[in-house]
Amino acid sequence: MSEMLKGILEGMVLEIISHGEIYGYEIAKKLRSLGFEELAEATVYALLLRLERNKLVDIRKKPSEMGPPRKFYTLNERGREELSSFWARWDFLCECIETIRKEGIENNEF
Amino acid sequence: MNFSDEIREKIKQFAREQSRYYLEEAEMTYMEKLQQKIGKTKSRFIDKLSKLKSRSNMSLDIQNDLILYMSDYMKDLMEKGLSEQEAFERAKEELKYSSESTRTSDLQDRFAEYYKNYDPVDYEVIGLFIAGFMFLGLSIGALSGFIASGGREMFLSGGWIDTLIGGVAGTIIGLGLGQIAHAVVVLLKKRR
Repeated sequence: MSEMLKGILEGMVLEIISHGEIYGYEIAKKLRSLGFEELAEATVYALLLRLERNKLVDIRKKPSEMGPPRKFYTLNERGREELSSFWARWDFLCECIETIRKEGIENNEF
Repeated sequence: MNFSDEIREKIKQFAREQSRYYLEEAEMTYMEKLQQKIGKTKSRFIDKLSKLKSRSNMSLDIQNDLILYMSDYMKDLMEKGLSEQEAFERAKEELKYSSESTRTSDLQDRFAEYYKNYDPVDYEVIGLFIAGFMFLGLSIGALSGFIASGGREMFLSGGWIDTLIGGVAGTIIGLGLGQIAHAVVVLLKKRR
C-alpha cells in the first residue's frame, strides 16, 4: 500500500490544497482522517517542502499561538496545471486497470 | 495546551538539528544549478551568491515550520492520552529526516527525472566518439612512431618500440579527445 501511495501522494496533497487555504499539519490530519494512518509525518512534511521548491503552491504566513508564523498553502497556476495533469494520468491508469479487470471477469480468468 | 519549558527547548533543538537535512533536500536543485553556473561571469556568480544568503532565512523558515508541525502533532498525541514526553519522543521519531520514506521518495523523484531525460542515442553517440578518437589516435600515433623511427628497415631492429610508444600515446590522446566530446554532448543535452 505504501509503495502505491508514493506515486500518488503529491496529487492527493495538491487536491487537498486546491480546496482552500490550509496549513501543513491540517493536510496530514486530513490524510489520516481519510484512512492513511500509516503515512509518516516526515513524508508529508518533506512533500510540502518539495511543492514549495517546485513552486506549485503560494504561501501566506499568519501569526500562530506557538510563536513562529504559520505557513498557509494555496494552489497557484502551476500547481493547478500539475493537479489537472495528475488527474488525467490517474483517469488513464484507472481506465486501463478497469479494462484489465473487466476482461478478466468476462473471460473467467480470475 | 502549552508545553513545559524543557519540552519547548527540546522541540527547538530538534528543529535546529533536522532543518539542515530538510534544507539540503529543498536546496538541492538550486545547489546543482549553482555548480553548473560556477564557471560563468563574475556578476552572475555574485548574483547567485546573494541568493545563498537567503539560505539562512530559509533554514529559519524550516525550523519554524518544524516547530509548529511538531507541536501540532504532539498536541494531537497528548489529546489521545500520551504524556508530554511520550508525545515528544513519538513526534521526534516520525519527523526525523533520516526516515526511509523521505529518502525513498526523494530517490524516486531523482530516478524519475533520470529516466525522463534518458536517451539511448546520447550514449551511443558518446561511445562512438570515444571509440572513434581512440582508433584515430592509435593509428596516427603508431604511424608517426613508425615513420619517425626510420620506417620498415628500422622496425625490426629496434624501431618497433617507437611505433609502440606512438601507438600508446596516440590512444591516450584519443581517449582524452573522446572525453572532451563526451563533455560537449552532456553540455548540449543540458541546454536542450
